[in-house]
Amino acid sequence: MRHFFLSLKTAVWTLFVMVCLFFIGSYMMPMHREVFGPMNNNLLFHWVKDVAADNVWQTWWFFAALAGLVLLTLNTIFCSIQAVRGKWSRSDFLLRISPQVIHIGFLFILFAHLLGAGWGYKLSGMMPEGAYAPLPEDLALRLNQIHVQTDARGFMTDWSVEASLYENNHLVKRGTLGPNAPLFWGATGIYLKSLNFDRGPAALLLVAKDPGAIWALVGGVLFTLGSVTLLALKWKKS
Amino acid sequence: MPFVSLSMELLLCILYPLALYRLWLMLPALALHIVLIVSTAMKYGRIPLIGLHDTLGFLAFTIGAVAVVAGWKRNRDLFSYITIPLILLLLAGSIASPAMPGALPPVLKTIWFELHVILSFVSYALFSIGSVFGILSLYYNEERAENNQYRSLLLGYVLFSTAMIFGGIWAYFAWGTYWLWTPKELWTTIVWFFYSLYLHARLVRGWTGPKVVWMGIIGFVIVMFTYAGVGLLMKSSHEF
Repeated sequence: MRHFFLSLKTAVWTLFVMVCLFFIGSYMMPMHREVFGPMNNNLLFHWVKDVAADNVWQTWWFFAALAGLVLLTLNTIFCSIQAVRGKWSRSDFLLRISPQVIHIGFLFILFAHLLGAGWGYKLSGMMPEGAYAPLPEDLALRLNQIHVQTDARGFMTDWSVEASLYENNHLVKRGTLGPNAPLFWGATGIYLKSLNFDRGPAALLLVAKDPGAIWALVGGVLFTLGSVTLLALKWKKS
Repeated sequence: MPFVSLSMELLLCILYPLALYRLWLMLPALALHIVLIVSTAMKYGRIPLIGLHDTLGFLAFTIGAVAVVAGWKRNRDLFSYITIPLILLLLAGSIASPAMPGALPPVLKTIWFELHVILSFVSYALFSIGSVFGILSLYYNEERAENNQYRSLLLGYVLFSTAMIFGGIWAYFAWGTYWLWTPKELWTTIVWFFYSLYLHARLVRGWTGPKVVWMGIIGFVIVMFTYAGVGLLMKSSHEF
């Protein structure tokens, strides 16, 4: 069993199975929109509990992929531990450590997905200009003003929203939200999705708290550092 | 201006085939292609990276640039016989696709988007050249071509991974999440898994040689489907 988790062939075959499962998934998703549509609307664990578990004929590939990721994680951990054991020399230090940095980065990204799938929250709704809305964790949001930029033909070219964030009824942050420019308070982000003027100026906002995001960034940085180092060393060698 | 752009694109179709004689003769085509990209960027205030017209042209350019660097010392052979028709095919696709004029939509106005797309296309170009080296390795039974395939794919993998990370940062700022469950994201992950598989398989004893070379060739087919096929056939967050 120990050899199974330590084997490079386990990694190769698991990756192959993951490729096949994601291939199947990419066809299942558009075919069963009623099942997969809500997948990105809420926390993934809620979708698994409320939707996926009741539609196993359509979601089996997703559960199989999760099992594949668990196997890949164990294989990565076992192989990395094995690789760092034994004698080290200065000459091959970077060559031995950089693949392990890549592996750690990959594990951090998986850990981030796990955190984001189970904890935090996602809320979205239309807020009219001047409205005030309570948020989880004793926060509240006030949408102060909507700004729109138009070109000479009257088409909207850019837009932004001025908002204030309150914690326990005390103003803690005031700022401007725009496309690609959310307002952050700790791990909570307030995002401007779109505007609507049907019944007066209003903004579609998303409030999301993802405790995994910072770990995904750490994982991404580690993965990049490790892979660039390994690339430089291998390039030199070959 | 569209007439000037179209004339330049048609001129590229004449200049690129010069490289069939000697690869360095691709330099005038690449220089003109840079002029076309820069002039479009100046006209619309953005790098031309939106829609099939822009991206097919950009992919043709990156493949040309990578081919010149990777095959600089090569004599006329199968390398240019595969690469140049591929570039011409992409250029023809670009010319046939409608251009999307105008500035970037606000959601795409971020450096993370441009880095994500540019790195993605450079990695696609490296994957394509890697597959050409793979064909060379099988055809001429060259060990050097197999090594060149590995180098191209390794560099492509690193850039592709970085492009995915930049894409995640952009998505987090734009949509509040660095990952969305859509067919496009699944296919992007398939590409990443597949090249991870290639790099690991190469380390398995007894798997080197044609088996792994074939993987490198098949990888490019997956890349092309991820780039063009998914966008055309499946709904995803990458519809711009």
